[in-house]
Amino acid sequence: MIQHSLPASLTALSDIRRLVTQACQTAGLSEDATYRLALAVDEIATNIITHGYEEQGMTGDLVVSLDQTDQELIILLEDTGVAFDPRDRSLPTAEDLDKPLDDREIGGLGIFLALAGVDRFDYQRSDNVNRNLFAMNLA
Amino acid sequence: MAFSAIFEMAGSEARITLEGELDASVADQFRQTVEHAAQDKPQKLILFMDKLQFMASAGLRVLVFAKQRMGRDVAIYVIGATGPVLNTMQMSGFHQAVYLQESYP
Repeated sequence: MIQHSLPASLTALSDIRRLVTQACQTAGLSEDATYRLALAVDEIATNIITHGYEEQGMTGDLVVSLDQTDQELIILLEDTGVAFDPRDRSLPTAEDLDKPLDDREIGGLGIFLALAGVDRFDYQRSDNVNRNLFAMNLA
Repeated sequence: MAFSAIFEMAGSEARITLEGELDASVADQFRQTVEHAAQDKPQKLILFMDKLQFMASAGLRVLVFAKQRMGRDVAIYVIGATGPVLNTMQMSGFHQAVYLQESYP
């Protein structure tokens, strides 16, 4: 497992995507799967930085761990911001996604895109650490 | 790749060319460009996305902002969106809410 620690700042998002994309390329994932995983990690990292740290007046780090098994490429995001399980967020319904832009609420799409884009997602919190796990199946 | 949003008026059309990676760290730059464009009261908003390599939901939220800021009668055209960016728009239903075209005019 390879670990990288980055400051929990929106300016770190491009570095996080670069780490994820490199891991995907090493694992031989398709371009489509690579993009979906990079987008998923980006969306959850954005939530952590914005809601988990900045809105609480907190600073901290995001630890990105990259791991590969015979079956999966696994990305783990760890942070010490406020507890938040993305699966608890109500997601847009099919009806919401059909609405014209005039009637849309701004927000709610990031977690939807993240959870819909990966093959497996898990969240756990222990010892005041949030752990968001993303996995993509290897061919 | 660094993000840029370049705005120009062409008659009654507001044209914005997007390049690079559009994530939450730069979405406000796009939003400000849309706000600037809205002040000219365009009849159409044309977004050139053929050089946009990545778009997170923060970018989609700016599209919602653009529609709500410019008004129901201002059509939004998305030109040349690439595969993954296009897929993101399709997953979130935005392909039904804007005019998607490969090229313009």
